[in-house]
Amino acid sequence: MSSESIALGTVIESARPIGERLHDWVVTVDHKKLGILYILYALFFLVVAGIEAIIMRIQLIVPHNHFVSPQTFNRMMTMHGTTMIFFMVMPILFGFGTYLIPLMIGARDMAFPRLNAFSFWMTAFGGLLLYFSFIGGNGLYGAGTAPDVGWWAYAPLTSRAFSVGHSTDFWTLALLVSGIGSIGAGVNFIATILCMRCPGMTLGKMPLLAWLNLVVGGMVIFCISPLTAAQIMLCIDRYLGGHFFDTQAGGSAVLWMHFFWIFGHPEVYILVVPAFAFVSEIVPVFSRKPIFGYPIMVAATIAIGFISFSVWAHHMFTVGMSAYGNSFFVFTTVAIAVPTGIKIFNWLGTMWGGKILLRVPMLFCIGFLFQFLIAGLTGIMLGTAPFNWQLSGSYFVVAHFHYVIVGGIVFALFGAFYYWYPKMSGRMCNETLGKWHFWLFLIGFHLTFDFMHIPGILGMPRRIYTYEPGRGWELWNLIVTIGAFFQAAAILVFVVNLLWSLRKGEPAGNDPWDAWTLEWSTSSPPPDYDFATTPVVRSRRPLWDLKHPEDPDWKYE
Amino acid sequence: MSSAESRSHKSEATRSTIHLPAPTAWPIVLAFGITLLLAGLVTTTAVSLLGAILAVAGLVGWFRDVLPQEQEETIEVRVEATVVSTSRREVARLPVAPDLPRALLPLETYPVSAGIKGGLAGSVAMAVLACLYGVLKEGSIWYPINLLAATVYTQSVHLSIASLKAFHLDSFLLATGIHLLTSLLVGLLYGAMLPMIPHRPIILGGLVAPILWTGLLHSFLELLNPLLNQLISWPWFVASQFAFGIVAGLVVVRQEQVRIRQLVPFLMRAGFEAPGLMKERADKDEPR
Amino acid sequence: MSSAAYTRTTAEPEWVLPSRGRVGMFSLIGAESAVFTIFVVAYIFYIGKSVAGPTPADVLELPILSTICLLSSSLTIHLAVRALHQAKVGAFGLWWFVTMALGTIFLVSTGREWHHLIYDKGLTVSTNLFGTTYYSLVGLHAFHVTVGLLIIALAMVFTLFRKVKPEHGERAEVFSLYWHFVDVVWVIVFTVVYIIGR
Repeated sequence: MSSESIALGTVIESARPIGERLHDWVVTVDHKKLGILYILYALFFLVVAGIEAIIMRIQLIVPHNHFVSPQTFNRMMTMHGTTMIFFMVMPILFGFGTYLIPLMIGARDMAFPRLNAFSFWMTAFGGLLLYFSFIGGNGLYGAGTAPDVGWWAYAPLTSRAFSVGHSTDFWTLALLVSGIGSIGAGVNFIATILCMRCPGMTLGKMPLLAWLNLVVGGMVIFCISPLTAAQIMLCIDRYLGGHFFDTQAGGSAVLWMHFFWIFGHPEVYILVVPAFAFVSEIVPVFSRKPIFGYPIMVAATIAIGFISFSVWAHHMFTVGMSAYGNSFFVFTTVAIAVPTGIKIFNWLGTMWGGKILLRVPMLFCIGFLFQFLIAGLTGIMLGTAPFNWQLSGSYFVVAHFHYVIVGGIVFALFGAFYYWYPKMSGRMCNETLGKWHFWLFLIGFHLTFDFMHIPGILGMPRRIYTYEPGRGWELWNLIVTIGAFFQAAAILVFVVNLLWSLRKGEPAGNDPWDAWTLEWSTSSPPPDYDFATTPVVRSRRPLWDLKHPEDPDWKYE
Repeated sequence: MSSAESRSHKSEATRSTIHLPAPTAWPIVLAFGITLLLAGLVTTTAVSLLGAILAVAGLVGWFRDVLPQEQEETIEVRVEATVVSTSRREVARLPVAPDLPRALLPLETYPVSAGIKGGLAGSVAMAVLACLYGVLKEGSIWYPINLLAATVYTQSVHLSIASLKAFHLDSFLLATGIHLLTSLLVGLLYGAMLPMIPHRPIILGGLVAPILWTGLLHSFLELLNPLLNQLISWPWFVASQFAFGIVAGLVVVRQEQVRIRQLVPFLMRAGFEAPGLMKERADKDEPR
Repeated sequence: MSSAAYTRTTAEPEWVLPSRGRVGMFSLIGAESAVFTIFVVAYIFYIGKSVAGPTPADVLELPILSTICLLSSSLTIHLAVRALHQAKVGAFGLWWFVTMALGTIFLVSTGREWHHLIYDKGLTVSTNLFGTTYYSLVGLHAFHVTVGLLIIALAMVFTLFRKVKPEHGERAEVFSLYWHFVDVVWVIVFTVVYIIGR
């Protein structure tokens, strides 16, 4: 699209009353608008849950601090975890998937556009319901407002006797509502990727992002539904007096743990596989080489998808399972490192010998590579039962999974933001602000989460409200909190960058990165119909074939 | 199905309108209804009631959207001449394979038989040295064989030193099996890896690799084979590993390297012989 | 290079993709089967763990008639869909109605069974673990039957108003997948609750 037509579009847009434009967004079934809605909604909750994290870190900055009350601390901890997983990372990944998948496979929309809208609104209302608990949770005087049972909500903490009022019910119902939305999104991903591909795009010629999101869709439908089932059981316990997790009546608290982690561990891979997808798209473009080992990447992803359903009980080594049970879950946990390692080597193999361009998206991806490697290594450490017995439930575990989620997933997400922002908005992100964002976030991340391992090894348990002086934890907690402020500053820079670039950024043009997948062949932002004429592809890099007609890929695939 | 219809139209590049699903408010109404329905559980029944009404309205509205025909809106398409081009016209080529437009590396490798030969030869060298150790130091050729069998054969852990020096058929068969299997696998690995090692494959494969795996074995031999761990003589053990590495490496390196059959269609590599297998690929060069 | 470069210029073999209705329904069935798996696992895990009576052996009777009705409705819905594919709308209506009737019989007999258990045997969801797991597993299945019956009834209304045409065959077929799934789940629930658990 030329620059005049962008200007023309903007004029027409701003000429219409704002109410009408908002109405368009509410009733839309367009995958691009819904994708952006998902992303904006998730960014809002990123800030909210980030503030909750900052409150916790201020509380822990010195021993015997009284910044907030213990009850508030428990609420912050529960809400931070729940929000970040269900209302920040999942929606933002669904948002990118919803936006990108149809564009990348040459389709005009998702397979079920109305279901797509329904899924988004379910997720959105789930989040609102959860946060409504701050206002509406006062079922009984003094019984508390927001949920405070931790994001695992282990039984019997959730039983009526220990959680009076409705705070736990808010948590259960919000996850039930958003779970329905997630399952809808999963179904939609699968149907879109299998049924909406443009002519010529066989499964072996799909972009890796589409492949990886296909696996994510499959994992979503098989892993969110156990959570939904467990939440229904919890509701039956709390509302109808059932005994599923009631140990007094012969029920089992450990069964809840199993059900929760059958959801909980595949969930980690639901979050990380889309991050893999971003990296698999960004690294080749900025290394100017095709992805190394495409079939192996697909096979490794599918392997991860399968194995991830057999590792859940490595969260439960300290529960006291049988020796055979422990050995099995140690084995599967270590086994899942193999396909993951293959992927890391493939990204390195893609970069090796390439003409690497250190633009902001690539910087974030390189950060992802190294940090995800370290996160994987501490993961293997925690995955071996004897080591786990020492450090389970300590800050070492907290540091490990934040290394995965922040160091891995969030870094890849930021890379994706800078990479696809020009496509979504039509304007480039500011490179200088982007580099500030990267370095501030990198420093903050390492200050916080590198040093968080140490108090864990020194025995600091997770979830504690405060601690005694003289245990050697003070310095580390201070550093960790300082790092949290660096990260907050970086997020501020990021938000400023997004807003500033929306108005003042350089016009991007169709294909600012000289990339190879189909979304870059249409204008930025794409028209409502995505593609004026349905593309036909012959290789994994259709735009390479057009740019280098003398040496196209399809001769060799 | 509407998508299929519009797809069939899309192939005509000159169409100026496209059907897209029409915007609709019913999904958000349904979602809000379901949320309120559940939110009534934590507030009051009236909320649930309102939620139920909204949900039913949303469902009915949604059904009326898609039944009997899906609602669509027609959008005008501005067909623009999208230019797909690149400023990076030059494509750098690896100098290793000037005759190939695209290459899988390495270009040449050892055939599978090289690895098998190397493994077998190494196994003989190692066995000779190990038996030599048995005869010279312990006075019995069966002694090292019984020790090796203890890896899987728990019975031999209970043998006395005297009976370790006697011949046991079961131990002998087990030890031979373990020895041959491991040697073959390591040999195959050598066949696959030595072409990748740029300089002095014999030093790396013959000396460095055995030192590495001996170190590894040293750390966990107690778990693998406690009997061997008790009675092992490390100098002789290291020497026999060197013997294996050097002999296997030498045998592998002396084999002829063959070009890997890239660009040959899978069918031909799978052994099919039919006319036209190669020609098909040449045909594809013409734009369809 | 213009966009015309990647449009098809000559006739090529038809580009066939799987039907999105079927793929979507199979995905939904996958999700549903995971939900049922969790409930079935909980049921099996809690067999014989109730600390108080009544036990399944005391109160449960084999629901033979309703099982036969539900399972045979799978056959009738298949016949209905086949009739619609062959453009025999009348036969479709007949078989569809039989399906609806069989499903309703199943639901009614489940309701009678529950009534019997609650009022005659004093078993409720809060009585003991057996009550909790039994009502939630069978209830979850009955909920799915109810949803299916509502959709069947809706289609029945359309049939009576002669709005159903042969081109709706694919939608009917996609729905029949759901109905078959509900039947298969009943086979599992029946085995677990009435045979293993008794």
